[in-house]
Amino acid sequence: MHLPSMNVLIQVIVVGLLTGGVYALLATGLTLIFGVMRVINIAHGAFLIFSAYISYWMFTAFGVDPFLSIFVSVPILFFFGIIFQRHVLSKVAGDPGLGVLLTFALALSLEGLMGSLWESTGRSVRTSYTSKVLPLKIPEIKMALPFDKVFELSEINLRLPYVRIAGLVAAVIALTGLFLILKYSNVGRAIRATIQNRNAAQLVGVNVERIQAITFGFGLATVAGGGALFSLIWTFNSGSHEEWISKMLSVIVLGGMGSLPGAFIAALIMGVVEAVSAVVMTSYISPIVFYLILFITLIFRPQGLMGVRIRKG
Amino acid sequence: MALQFLRRWWKIIALVLLLIFPWLFRAPYYHVLGFNILLYALMATSWNIMGGYTGYKSLGHAAFFGFGAYLAAIAANQLGWNPLISAPVLAIVVAIVAMVLGWVMLRTSGSAFVIATIAMLLIFRLTALNLRGITKGAPGLSQPLPPWTPEFSRMPFFYYALVWLIIALWVSAYIRRSRFGLGLVAIRDDEGKAEMVGVNTTLYKVLAFGVSAYFVGLGGGIWSYHASHISPIFAFDIIIGVDMILMTMIGGLGTLWGPVLGAFLLVPTAQYLLFKFGASSFYLVINGLLMILVILFLPKGILPSIEEWLEGRKAPRAAHQGAMSMAEMHGLTDSSLSSDKEGK
Repeated sequence: MHLPSMNVLIQVIVVGLLTGGVYALLATGLTLIFGVMRVINIAHGAFLIFSAYISYWMFTAFGVDPFLSIFVSVPILFFFGIIFQRHVLSKVAGDPGLGVLLTFALALSLEGLMGSLWESTGRSVRTSYTSKVLPLKIPEIKMALPFDKVFELSEINLRLPYVRIAGLVAAVIALTGLFLILKYSNVGRAIRATIQNRNAAQLVGVNVERIQAITFGFGLATVAGGGALFSLIWTFNSGSHEEWISKMLSVIVLGGMGSLPGAFIAALIMGVVEAVSAVVMTSYISPIVFYLILFITLIFRPQGLMGVRIRKG
Repeated sequence: MALQFLRRWWKIIALVLLLIFPWLFRAPYYHVLGFNILLYALMATSWNIMGGYTGYKSLGHAAFFGFGAYLAAIAANQLGWNPLISAPVLAIVVAIVAMVLGWVMLRTSGSAFVIATIAMLLIFRLTALNLRGITKGAPGLSQPLPPWTPEFSRMPFFYYALVWLIIALWVSAYIRRSRFGLGLVAIRDDEGKAEMVGVNTTLYKVLAFGVSAYFVGLGGGIWSYHASHISPIFAFDIIIGVDMILMTMIGGLGTLWGPVLGAFLLVPTAQYLLFKFGASSFYLVINGLLMILVILFLPKGILPSIEEWLEGRKAPRAAHQGAMSMAEMHGLTDSSLSSDKEGK
């Protein structure tokens, strides 16, 4: 364990926050699906990698920028989500354990499909702006404090990759859109009602089956958007989804399963913790930190930061 | 007649067939196939004690498999212990670690438990990848080859796995009949009620988790000697755990023989697919689709479905008897129904 300089530390925290924004987008769909259906969609990571592959394929084959291929992958996954929930996942609605296994099986099939389509070498989209950075200078700060003390902070130079900034902006736009839909549209109200109390929602006339299908579609749509950003920032292959679903699960468990604000806050926390631990700790501990946080949350606060305690199922 | 004969003697017949199998099919290929079937039957039986009897479905049992494999390989390299002798001892370490982790993870249930088991597997895999001093990292560990001549090929592994499969089945059957097993089933059916009637649910779950990790860790130890080279990617492959689940579910979740039946069906199928399509991603697609089909159309598994069908054939008589005893219980029996009891 060694402490880096102030400059490096701030740089790392800012990049961690940028990453956390993308995590928030990735985890939102997962926690939304859990909230409405009480099923953990283990295939979420596989869909993330799948849409990243769509962006990669469209970029290498046709030169389409990932920010544009979002408009292809989002509708595809949205409708696939609706069909899958309506015709497959709803068949095991009574048993959440079976639902988890079912989505896991779907993830396996997708992994195999992606592996045979794109082989197992690591891929990522390298555009003309991939390695460009935004230099940012925070001037020296000197402040007089009471008792004749002086608060001093030396000049800080930050170098922020454009793709990370663009990733955060896109994630914020997508999350804002989702928030507006949930807050003001009829479908959104029905979704929130179903999260709060499924039976009561049904009693006041919400078509819960339809809402579940739409929610699954929304969930996959957010991860489709996330996948395009993902393809710009990270390297992936068909097997990466295991690592990423675990990261997203850690985020939503920490945030409180089914809680949207919780997922957002937890995503930012996890982004920063991951970035800082990569600098501060040995290479043995740092990759494990994510899962250790998951374990600690499950032991001491199973309901997460902002969730209700999960009981059986 | 024939059915009754089979029902009575099938275990002995199966055992004899298995004992002479390596001598009937002499090619090493068949020995490896047979060994894989028995190894998976052993591990699926073990998984079933937690996933089937207790209802806590772990997706991370590959962690215990890899842990057992690494312990056996490290002991073979550094202490010169033969894995066939050391694996049953080292698997106790696996079981103890599993119980400590289980004590933590079993505070959750349902979906959260599944997440915790996946995270556990990833922690184990990352540890094996990063503790390079002991595990040699990603390239993996090699260990000495078995001392017997190549002529015997894989035969000793086959018989060794058979012995442990029989022991595991005995333990599984014993647990199912015992008070402990009844407690586990009670936990699966309704944990709250089980606790109310005095089952120490935490203790029971942790013990079941330990037992179910023991045989999987043991299987890992045997496998590492058989493979002679292990690496984190293969030893901690999530698919190993998935196969255990798939086999158990195909055969019959929570039944004694279901996991064995599943292994005997699935391992040859998988080998055939590997042979036909190569060790490709296509194999994953088949595996995943098969699992989806089983969950949708055969959620109870083969054995319980057959049992139900057999019960169905006897149903009219059983239903009549049921109605009689119900009527008696409620004191509704009139003289004509109960005459043969009271009249004589």
